[in-house]
Amino acid sequence: MPLPLAASAWLDPGAFAGLAAHLARHEGADLLLSGAGWPDEDLCLAGLRPTAEHVPDPADPKPGLRAFLAAHPGPALGFLSYPLGLDLHGVPSAKPRALPPGLFRKYAALLSWRHSSGRLEILGSDPALARELARLAACPPPLPAWNPPAPAPLEASLDRPGYEAAVERALEHIRGGDVYQCTLSLRFSREFPAEQGPDLLLRLWQQRPAPFMAWFRHGPLRLLSVSPERFLRLEQGRALSQPIKGTAAFREGEPGPEAALRNSPKEDAELSMIVDLMRNDLSRNCAPGSVRVDRHKAVFRLDRLLQMHSGVSGLLRPGRDGADLLLDAFPPGSVTGCPKRRALEIMERLEPHCRDIFCGCFAVLRENGDLDSSVAIRTAILDSRAGRLDFFAGSGIVVDSRPEREYGETLAKAANFLRLEDL
Amino acid sequence: MRILLADNADSFTWNLEHLLALAFHARVEVAPYPPASACGFDLLAISPGPGHPREYPAYGPLLDSGVPVLGICLGMQIINEHFGGTTDRLPGCVHGRAEAIDLGDRTLAVARYHSLHTAALGQGLEVLAVNADGVVMALAHATRPLAGFQFHPESFLTEDGEHCLAFAARRLGLA
Repeated sequence: MPLPLAASAWLDPGAFAGLAAHLARHEGADLLLSGAGWPDEDLCLAGLRPTAEHVPDPADPKPGLRAFLAAHPGPALGFLSYPLGLDLHGVPSAKPRALPPGLFRKYAALLSWRHSSGRLEILGSDPALARELARLAACPPPLPAWNPPAPAPLEASLDRPGYEAAVERALEHIRGGDVYQCTLSLRFSREFPAEQGPDLLLRLWQQRPAPFMAWFRHGPLRLLSVSPERFLRLEQGRALSQPIKGTAAFREGEPGPEAALRNSPKEDAELSMIVDLMRNDLSRNCAPGSVRVDRHKAVFRLDRLLQMHSGVSGLLRPGRDGADLLLDAFPPGSVTGCPKRRALEIMERLEPHCRDIFCGCFAVLRENGDLDSSVAIRTAILDSRAGRLDFFAGSGIVVDSRPEREYGETLAKAANFLRLEDL
Repeated sequence: MRILLADNADSFTWNLEHLLALAFHARVEVAPYPPASACGFDLLAISPGPGHPREYPAYGPLLDSGVPVLGICLGMQIINEHFGGTTDRLPGCVHGRAEAIDLGDRTLAVARYHSLHTAALGQGLEVLAVNADGVVMALAHATRPLAGFQFHPESFLTEDGEHCLAFAARRLGLA
């Protein structure tokens, strides 16, 4: 059941940024935003005044999720956290978890804005709320000037020797035939003034636009995501995944870094493995013969980095739906490893921290059965009570990985993500 | 045709299911390891998977049951160990790359994902294909309907997965 269109308006991107930050700060809005410059990812959504909430049951998540989606009008916004993937694959974990297995909300009002048209739609059945939002949208408060918080020390979940020892143990699992690839991450923590969270997200939206950005509330926690990667999209029965593997830094004007990335045997093998893994995860719910690989090794630029990805698509088998697709493929292959279950077991032992939202996904689940979702990388948890920001970075470990290089790459990713001073 | 695909908690199982369904026009049932029985099936396919073949002892009776068996990667190593062959680490192991091998009457690129390899061949088995370095890429039993590929016919890196399965089907007396 769709939400009715209550009002519409035209906003330029600056006005939308101000509106979105205001709604996140004062109205408790959840946001799923595409940054500018991504022709295929055009849409920004804000959910206000939740009318219903659903936490998936890790023992059997599909029936409850389907019932929730059917019971309330409009699309659901939400997330699945990484430890749900451990539960779904039967991997035991005793680490404390900051988040529920997942959380989806339906809203009294949903705002939808497109980069391509600048058109804002206010959807919902509450006329008073729609009028209030239309008044706000007519003259949105400007995005506050960005005031970078003072530099603060970073605390990592593993020190350099600890991380390199973990990589060495992962390599031993690879040489012993347990996995072809796994991923290892670090969690970083720093002080951060919680009230600046919405400004940080919208500032990133303006300055370092990524195709899949998110802001989501859970109690005192705020999830903030600036992801470059689609996990799964489902549109009229056609499923699409766009896994990223292979990252390289580039400098403006430098010739041919794309070719160097494409021609690297290590990056090629890493991406190929994950393409075969995503083919598998789609094939489980797609019709035999329908699964294809498109645009293999396409390279795009994002925030000082080149990223290489591929498209894997297929047609759903009769009788399968988005809940099957999303939950059977979870957690995303590009941030776990292959074979997935053994990789999850190894990573669970080697990492001292819980990934929580990191390597989970954000998703919009539509009333017609379509969905879109991102891989929750370049993602942080802001604790508004403690004034603390936890964020994560990791890298894929394959047989020719070197511990010292993986450590350097992980630190560089973390530093690049939280470059606040020149934002 | 009915195929039982035994899944060793692998992440390529459903790729293999699609390829088996297309190549053999078969109905494929996927069962997690350990499968109880392959009785009533025309073919048992043993999936790739993590670890060493000794972690999968339940296949012994199925390999002796007379039902034709096709093992992929770990599945091939399981067949080899069943007949007393051995499996060792492969120095310079290869994951996610394709290379050309001769398979039957054709040379074609096949995908390799393996850290372990056939160090000694089991009794009664014969090698059907090796790569340029002499690593066993395909084997079969001399008299029984058992065959295996070290490479991955179900990978998108493999040039012609259906050709590989047709080759196996002839060897197993299914074609």
